[in-house]
Amino acid sequence: MHNVYTVGQINNYIKNMFRQDFLLSSLTVKGEISNCKYHSSGHIYFTLKDGAGAIACVMFRGSRERGLKFQLQEGQQVQVTGSVDVYERDGKYQLYASSIVLDGAGALFERYEKLKKELEERGMFAPEYKQEIPKYIRTLGVVTAPTGAAVRDIINIATRRNPYVQIILYPAIVQGDEAKASIVKGIRTLSEQNVDVIIVGRGGGSIEDLWAFNEEVVAEAIFNCPVPIISAVGHETDTTIADYVADLRAPTPSAAAELAVYEMDLLLQDINDYQNILCRRIEEKISKLKIKSANDRRLLEHLSPQARIREKKMRAAASYEKLEMLMLDKIKGKRHQLDVDIQRLKALSPLEKLNSGFSYVSDENGKNIRKIEQVKEGDKLDIYVSDGIIQSVCLGTSGRNER
Amino acid sequence: MAKKSEAKELTIEEAFDAVDEKIKALESEDVSLEDSFNLFKEGMDLLKHCNDSIDKVEKKVQKIMEDGRMEDFE
Repeated sequence: MHNVYTVGQINNYIKNMFRQDFLLSSLTVKGEISNCKYHSSGHIYFTLKDGAGAIACVMFRGSRERGLKFQLQEGQQVQVTGSVDVYERDGKYQLYASSIVLDGAGALFERYEKLKKELEERGMFAPEYKQEIPKYIRTLGVVTAPTGAAVRDIINIATRRNPYVQIILYPAIVQGDEAKASIVKGIRTLSEQNVDVIIVGRGGGSIEDLWAFNEEVVAEAIFNCPVPIISAVGHETDTTIADYVADLRAPTPSAAAELAVYEMDLLLQDINDYQNILCRRIEEKISKLKIKSANDRRLLEHLSPQARIREKKMRAAASYEKLEMLMLDKIKGKRHQLDVDIQRLKALSPLEKLNSGFSYVSDENGKNIRKIEQVKEGDKLDIYVSDGIIQSVCLGTSGRNER
Repeated sequence: MAKKSEAKELTIEEAFDAVDEKIKALESEDVSLEDSFNLFKEGMDLLKHCNDSIDKVEKKVQKIMEDGRMEDFE
């Protein structure tokens, strides 16, 4: 005897079986994506398959925000977390995805985060350990693959900027199991060559391709390297542990070459500019001093003893002239006085008296006779007249009134 | 300030810094003419040193092996 069930009943029965299963309510399945369709409703439908089979999957629009960080593509290896449930309308079960990560990436990302945190706590990213990148280098070390765009970009840009910088390449293995040891060896080998700066890097790739740059030994080699290191791993959006430890992070290998190698033309230009500035400064200085010296000279001339001497000389000359004038006046006056005196004296001269008829009488001894009592009879007398002397003898005397 | 007369030991960067100092000193009002000439000469010597220290020979990219051997790359 058996019961007859409707389709709905049986599908519902199966759905309940699934729902009660602990494993199916929450699980992670890995496989390759195929038949991926982004529906206009926002839901994503795809099939997850591997060598053994396939399972239908759906991710509803509501889960995408939190559960999917990348664009699903055919052939991707992914891990899908969600629940398996029955879609009653079609009578089929499917995996309802709540989150999808790239396979491998999930585990790697976790390792990355763990190591990053650990190294950060050890201070290996601290700015005080960053070495300065020298501006004018002579030798550049490069640790990267000897083939591919990265090494070409670095060499092209470095030599274009400055063909005189010596580039030493350590041809490293940059992906796969041997990569970390090869990169570490490259850093050590180049630092022993006393290069001025080392670029460590590679071109873009998947997180697995770049993984060597997230290895602890590589981080330590970079941290311990005495030569400043510029990291240049992948594209701008890829940040590896090496980038955090390096003294400087370049977004790409090309950018690393630009950061490491100075432009020769600019240096020559700088030297030239400095020379011009120096010349200009010294010329300015000299012309300023010339002006100052001319000013000082004028000032000094004004204050010099010569100027004072000249001034005194002029005063002296003026005084002299004045004195001379006064003196001449005085002399003239005296001379005039003298003439007057001469006339007066002339008038008083005895000779003049003789000329006008008077005589002068003296005794034998030349003594002037003024009174009668000075002579007696018989005395010899000299009488001076205008043209000579009359020797005479006194015959007698009589007073004025006796005559 | 200790004066590094031995320009030979200076890197280009240090030399530029030193030239900057000379220029600043030259620009100051109270530096004597004699000192100015000295500053000018020292500055020019430093720049000459910069220029002389540039090794103007084009280099070939070298490849270094694990054992330290070097050879031309390409």
